[in-house]
Amino acid sequence: MTRITLGSAVLRGTVSTALMASLMSAPALGAAPVDLSKWSPEYVRSIAGTQDFDTAADCGKVTPLDYKGRLTFWYQGVFEGDPDLLRQYYKDFFETFRKTYPNIQLEEQALTYNDLLDKFRTALLGNAAPMAVRLQILGGTEFASKGYLEPLKPEDVGYSTEDFWPGAMKAVTWDGVTYGIPTNNETMAFIWNADIFKRAGLDPDKAPATWDDVVKYSKQIHDKLGIAGYGLVARKNAGNTPYRFMPQLWAYGGGVFDEATANPTYKEIELNSPQSKAALQASYDMYVRDKSVPVSALTNQQADNQPLFLAGQLGMMISHPSDYNVMLDLQKKATGTDKDKAQTVIDNMRYGLIPTGPDGKRAVVFGGSNIHILKPEYVEGGKVDEPAAKAIICMWTSPEWSLKMAYAGSNPGNLNGFKTKWMKERLDSIKFLDVTTSMLPYGIPFPALPQSPEIMNIIVPDMLQNALTGAMTVDQAADDAAKKVKDLMGGGL
Amino acid sequence: MTIVAGKTGARRRLRPLPGKIWEHRADYAYVLPAIAVMLIVIAYPIYYTIELSFFNTPPGLQLRDKIFVGFGNYTAILTSPVFWKVTSNTLIWTLASTFISFVLGFACALALHREFVGRGVLRAILIIPWVISAVAASYIWKWIYHSDFGIIGAVLVGLGLADRPPNFIDSVSTVLPSLIVVNIWREFPFAMIMMMAGLQTVPEQLLRAAKVDGANAWQRFWHVTFPHLRNVSTVTILLLAVANFNSFIIPWIMTGGGPSNASHIWITHIYELAFGRQRWGVASAYSVLLFLILMTLGYFYVRALSGNERKDAGA
Repeated sequence: MTRITLGSAVLRGTVSTALMASLMSAPALGAAPVDLSKWSPEYVRSIAGTQDFDTAADCGKVTPLDYKGRLTFWYQGVFEGDPDLLRQYYKDFFETFRKTYPNIQLEEQALTYNDLLDKFRTALLGNAAPMAVRLQILGGTEFASKGYLEPLKPEDVGYSTEDFWPGAMKAVTWDGVTYGIPTNNETMAFIWNADIFKRAGLDPDKAPATWDDVVKYSKQIHDKLGIAGYGLVARKNAGNTPYRFMPQLWAYGGGVFDEATANPTYKEIELNSPQSKAALQASYDMYVRDKSVPVSALTNQQADNQPLFLAGQLGMMISHPSDYNVMLDLQKKATGTDKDKAQTVIDNMRYGLIPTGPDGKRAVVFGGSNIHILKPEYVEGGKVDEPAAKAIICMWTSPEWSLKMAYAGSNPGNLNGFKTKWMKERLDSIKFLDVTTSMLPYGIPFPALPQSPEIMNIIVPDMLQNALTGAMTVDQAADDAAKKVKDLMGGGL
Repeated sequence: MTIVAGKTGARRRLRPLPGKIWEHRADYAYVLPAIAVMLIVIAYPIYYTIELSFFNTPPGLQLRDKIFVGFGNYTAILTSPVFWKVTSNTLIWTLASTFISFVLGFACALALHREFVGRGVLRAILIIPWVISAVAASYIWKWIYHSDFGIIGAVLVGLGLADRPPNFIDSVSTVLPSLIVVNIWREFPFAMIMMMAGLQTVPEQLLRAAKVDGANAWQRFWHVTFPHLRNVSTVTILLLAVANFNSFIIPWIMTGGGPSNASHIWITHIYELAFGRQRWGVASAYSVLLFLILMTLGYFYVRALSGNERKDAGA
């Protein structure tokens, strides 16, 4: 299967689904710099490289380039699961910022996805937060609802709200006020090893169509080859878990609330609905009944699945397009016959759309990150250098840098990024990029609620662990999770 | 005080408190900076933790908007099945780690107390687990235990002793014992060093005398060596117990308290409640309970130390 065939076959007729409508439900849809209703790999290719942007000149209008100031800035940076290419772009960004704004004293600090929220919360309690922060998409509403963030909209840094994915703007909006700007938005895809498929008697060029197929394929791979079929992830306090389980939950028609609908209200808890239980049952079947997934799924993250996949010990997983680059990086570090084995896996790596549920529903987490400015009273020293903060925000969310900083693993938050020459270059150099980009219309944002981090990072993984370890039955685990969400929403202890 | 006799002693006891303080003014001045620092970094946090333990802190509210719930957090904790699970884990973790580390450390100390070739090298090797970073050790052990491609699993499968790698840390029944093994591996060198130091204080002439009197090795150990080590043993056990009650790094890094809370101990659970779930109030109530337990242990620790001092003074 080639990426073009895949995209053409599946996407042309599906871009106007309800999920798409959910993402595009902004009133000013017509003013968006790209036509989201035409979204397809071909369309993305057709707009790539059609417009030039001068980032320094654009940001100079927001904060003069000779502005003198000081900025403290924390951001969710690259981590062990990211490719070297992305590390280089992060390095380049900060070098470029210092060159562009030589008189701004920048004190930046990179934190991993799993550490950032804890550290940021603690710093806020001590009024020792940075002036600006780039947070995972999940965190925006939590801090906005608590009043820690200054209102901040794209217009404040020279862009328009329509320049960003409407779904992403929802994640930075609380009580009708915008508190941040999306830097990047991502959707993952389904990855498989064609050679393993072939040896297991499966069609090497065909991804499993449904989640039931994933369960079936995983078992077949395990039974025939003695290796893990699907790369299930169920660690607690790790972003990887909801990013992999929620697409499954939504595809089966379940959810935490009604977040998968076009206009969610978050009133009814759906975690213990029959559909949600069916999704959990599928994980149970793979882990407990068939033993066809890595046993270490309960304590591991996606970064642990990557070497398994590269070693030819894992048949399928959900991840970013960057995993291809990660595999190349890992392969370079391999020695002797391992190097050749790794190359074989890379040659057999295939990307496809994430499978659907029994009713044909396809879903993926609409992920990403946002950038925010803190209120002075919560910042160390009690002062925020707003022009300096806006300078870095303007640069990071520019078409150029929002694309470069998401080069291998994600997509630009600023839709104009798709029009840049770097997007064109990226489409040619990042294999399988258009598959993950094609998943964007199926993206569902996490519930825009302050309770979302706890629900996604703790309650959902707990539910999985309770069911998979046998501590509870599937029904009990789902009911227990639903009760926890209910208590949480009710402000219980 | 009992050795102070006569009129001078009586006068001292009758002296009023301000006079006593004035007499020791220089001593107070010396300890004043330390007391000030302790008040800031220990007393205030303790007070604030106790205060917070009476408030609800839902994730949608800032801490300053906390809601008074009286003893609600304590009731919620004591009626929660997770509390009893975590408490049971903490007790198993603390007792097993402390006891086995001590026994193993003591055994090593006794073995290394004798003269033999390579003793110095062996002593240095045995201290390694204690001196390497707990974070690094946790990651190393995570890979050793890994349920899919861990070293132990690979060896067992390679030797044909198992069909598939054993499940050490992804099973609710094996995770806690597996983590305890890592903790013992990290801690026994501490017990070993303490007991080796204690063994240096056992009078050689007593051991020789006992030997001359016909005491065998066990009798010499039990009647001569061990009584001399009683105090150092007490202190070592108390220090290990306090350290184990306060453990965090190994369970947090290796399993995050999972799977299914099977390896959550008090500190990891408190950390998750506070920083992962922002239940500062409940986490504070947990901390207050833990504080009381540790204070009790601390009391025995101080008593043991005082006992040593009294004995030394008596000797």
